[in-house]
Amino acid sequence: MSALEVRDLSKNFAVGRGLRRPQVHAVEEVSFSLRPGTITALVGESGSGKSTVARLIARLYDPTSGSILFDGGDIAHARRRRDVLRYRSQVQLIFQDPFGSLNPVKTVRHHIERPLRIHGVVPASRVEGRVHELLDTVGLVPPAEVAAKYPHELSGGQRQRVAIARALAVEPKVVLADEPTSMLDVSIRIGILNLMLKLKEEHDIAFLYVTHDLASARYIADDILVMYAGQIVERGPVEQVLAEPLHPYTRLLLAAVHGERIEERRGSASAAIDPTEGCRFVARCPLAVPVCSVTTPTLVEAHPGQSARCHVTAPAN
Amino acid sequence: MAQLEPTLDLRVGAPKRGVRIGRVRVPGWLVLLLRNRKSCSGLLIVAFMVVIALIAPLISVADPNLPSFAGAQAPSWHHLFGTTDQGSDIFSQVVVGARRSLLLGATAGAIATLLAAVLGITAAYAGGLVDEVINLLTNVFLTIPPIPLLVVISTYLKARGLVTMAVVIAAVLWAFEARILRGQALSLKSRDFVLAAKASGESTWRIVFGELMPNMVSRIAAAFVLVFYISLLVDAGLEFLGLGDMSATSWGVTAYWAQNNSTVLQGEWWPFLFPSVALGLTVLGLVLVLTGIDEVSNPRLRTERRRGRLTALIFGKAAA
Amino acid sequence: MSAVATQTLIEVRGLEVEYGRVRAVDGVDLTIGTGEILGLAGESGCGKSTVANAIMQILRPPARIVGGSIRFQGDDLTGKRKEELRRYRWRNVSMVFQSAMNSLNPVMRVGDQFVDMMRAHEHISKSRALTRAAELLDLVGLDKRLVRAYPHELSGGMRQRVIIAMALALSPELVILDEPTTALDVVVQREILQEVEALKRDFGFAVLFITHDLSLLLEFADRVAIMYAGEIVESAPASRLAENALHPYTQGLMRSFPPLAGPRARLVGIPGSPPDLREPPSGCRFHPRCPHCLPDDATLYLRQTTERPRLREVEPDHSVACHLVEA
Repeated sequence: MSALEVRDLSKNFAVGRGLRRPQVHAVEEVSFSLRPGTITALVGESGSGKSTVARLIARLYDPTSGSILFDGGDIAHARRRRDVLRYRSQVQLIFQDPFGSLNPVKTVRHHIERPLRIHGVVPASRVEGRVHELLDTVGLVPPAEVAAKYPHELSGGQRQRVAIARALAVEPKVVLADEPTSMLDVSIRIGILNLMLKLKEEHDIAFLYVTHDLASARYIADDILVMYAGQIVERGPVEQVLAEPLHPYTRLLLAAVHGERIEERRGSASAAIDPTEGCRFVARCPLAVPVCSVTTPTLVEAHPGQSARCHVTAPAN
Repeated sequence: MAQLEPTLDLRVGAPKRGVRIGRVRVPGWLVLLLRNRKSCSGLLIVAFMVVIALIAPLISVADPNLPSFAGAQAPSWHHLFGTTDQGSDIFSQVVVGARRSLLLGATAGAIATLLAAVLGITAAYAGGLVDEVINLLTNVFLTIPPIPLLVVISTYLKARGLVTMAVVIAAVLWAFEARILRGQALSLKSRDFVLAAKASGESTWRIVFGELMPNMVSRIAAAFVLVFYISLLVDAGLEFLGLGDMSATSWGVTAYWAQNNSTVLQGEWWPFLFPSVALGLTVLGLVLVLTGIDEVSNPRLRTERRRGRLTALIFGKAAA
Repeated sequence: MSAVATQTLIEVRGLEVEYGRVRAVDGVDLTIGTGEILGLAGESGCGKSTVANAIMQILRPPARIVGGSIRFQGDDLTGKRKEELRRYRWRNVSMVFQSAMNSLNPVMRVGDQFVDMMRAHEHISKSRALTRAAELLDLVGLDKRLVRAYPHELSGGMRQRVIIAMALALSPELVILDEPTTALDVVVQREILQEVEALKRDFGFAVLFITHDLSLLLEFADRVAIMYAGEIVESAPASRLAENALHPYTQGLMRSFPPLAGPRARLVGIPGSPPDLREPPSGCRFHPRCPHCLPDDATLYLRQTTERPRLREVEPDHSVACHLVEA
């Protein structure tokens, strides 16, 4: 039973100028589902398309193709303002930059009040109380004092908690967290990650945790999706994937994080621009064989629950 | 790694809390402007002119244009600024003229800024067709040469009253500001907090007025001040050329008659000097406020005490 | 891996730097020996970048050095004239700072930027400088032909390598790396750091490596110093620190990295946030966040809240500024 399902989601952007502009396949046929009370980590480098996936689900842009299934309907193609508004009250986004995501000239109270008022979550008389409750839930105390502050009067960690409180205000089923801790100090990150764990458990929220940090993905996530150049290249339960990675890119990431020597490969990593047939990782892959440059591999379930997109480690037989 | 350091953070977009002096609450923005030496002096000058304009009926004669037999008198205790060739009291003319100028400047400023802000910011945020249409409109108004237009309109317009003048000036200047504000709104539009508001379900109107505009206050205020002082100069200029509302009591008209009657050649400097100084002083005050707003909004423009700052002020202050 | 410091390259004693009325660096002692990698770790606002800027002598008003000394090979830098400092910078000490890869001139080719830089520091012909630029690019693992490229044609990682090559151009004795890989992906980060290590082995320069990522330092540095709120709170060889960190802040930092192997236990991190340096806490600056600062032990508590701990060597080459450790 899934809270939200993404099917064959794709997004192309045109780059550069001129008559024939190359297309970046930022996201290509991505499919996965988010279950209530679980955290799914979406891991990849910058440029892998992971943030774009989160923003597509948040309907900040329209997908080029594919569907986003929520509450029995495909929201990607919904046009009625009422439907979109209802969706927005159920699916929230937390941004990476804790300062940029808050309006510098508005108080904390304003940020948390707005979603409450827009979606009529509580009657007007109860709004103030609810703001304080939410601040309490995310650990910003005393709530009355914090509510009156402006973003620049708070630390990065506190601002991110305000962003989380804002997302929680509407009692969402799904929260998309786009690298929520990468711009925070190391000692503060654990606090935010622990908060997400607590919310997942107490409120049964389905989280999508976008990150480039494997260690934090292991810390809080149940499932992991690894993205490279717009495609999902491996998926499965987090412990299993990290213990026995199938895809060469996942192995490379793990090696880099473990501090092992990695072999350098020269060449650019712009495999997502006007891609041709064949595996997009082929230029950097130590296991590449001739078929890799010819046919695009598909996601194949090589171990129970774990799939990879690789001719060599997860052949389609 | 970009967690901002609260101690060394110079986020100027952030609102400054006001202070309390006795029982008076002074708003944050006013504190900032008063702290900056330039805008503080500018504000004092403008405040002074406003006070003069307010008490004008108390300190001037009933009809400043009333001729008398005391023509061409030099400044004296009886006529502080002297009299015109027709015997009208120049002090009264200047003081009452202040009312007209300030009212005109404020009205033109308000109309132009309102138009520029609403159209410019909406064009930037809405994008698409709305943006195209508003841009077309802006471009049309931008290509019209302002001075010839004003000359033509004032020659042909029967009613040359203050409101007409204000509307005409606003019509000429709004497009320039609209383009600037559109540019700034464009850069704000893709900031995360705007996207966050959109993702929360905020309507376009609320985003334009509630999220974008409040972050552009200093630029909008600067636009207002700019239009204000340009309209003063334009109005006085037109009147000096005899193209304005010649029945009004204003600095330009006084100067016009001074010039027309060749008073300076006759050694009567006062009908020309006082209205011109009044105009120059007011414009200076407004320019200083404008510089102050710029410096407060952009801390990089602030410099330590340095010589040559005055020259930089004069020559650097081309456009806002 | 440890390098024996044969002589002291940089010696910082009691450095104090103020920004206006805020004291960003309050009494810092540091030494960097020839060919040694010193890691400087800390979170935002701790003053580590300020220390680096002070060593490079590039502090701009309102920042100014108000106390202490910085010596390069015994020579006090604070007394020097502008011209001497200009020669010192880049020739003796060079720096790669945060997001330096964005500071390349977008309208000039990479090679030309090298040429400009080299000709500003020595008399060298354009063609000779260009050849040297190509050699330097090769040195950092880039194709020599990229001298003709524009910055936007290169990826983030490649641009950072260009910056590193520029920092090495005049063969300085010390290279300061200020968060050199923060904006880069983990794989590129590793490649670049491996490269720097190899270059260091070949050319023997010392490195001051500044970052918030303590785990990187434990791997790459010979010695590590931890900064908090403008002071050094602990300093030790990297291996010692990894085994036996003594200062509660260092211990808290080490506990803030989720493990990739082993049990998935709940971590605690460090509660609270770094202090506002306009009004630092009295006594030990870490005391409001320290799990060992409790009113139970009255005498200790009094010291922790009123007396600033001093950096003392408690084991050979391992110094800590902590009342608890001294007790």
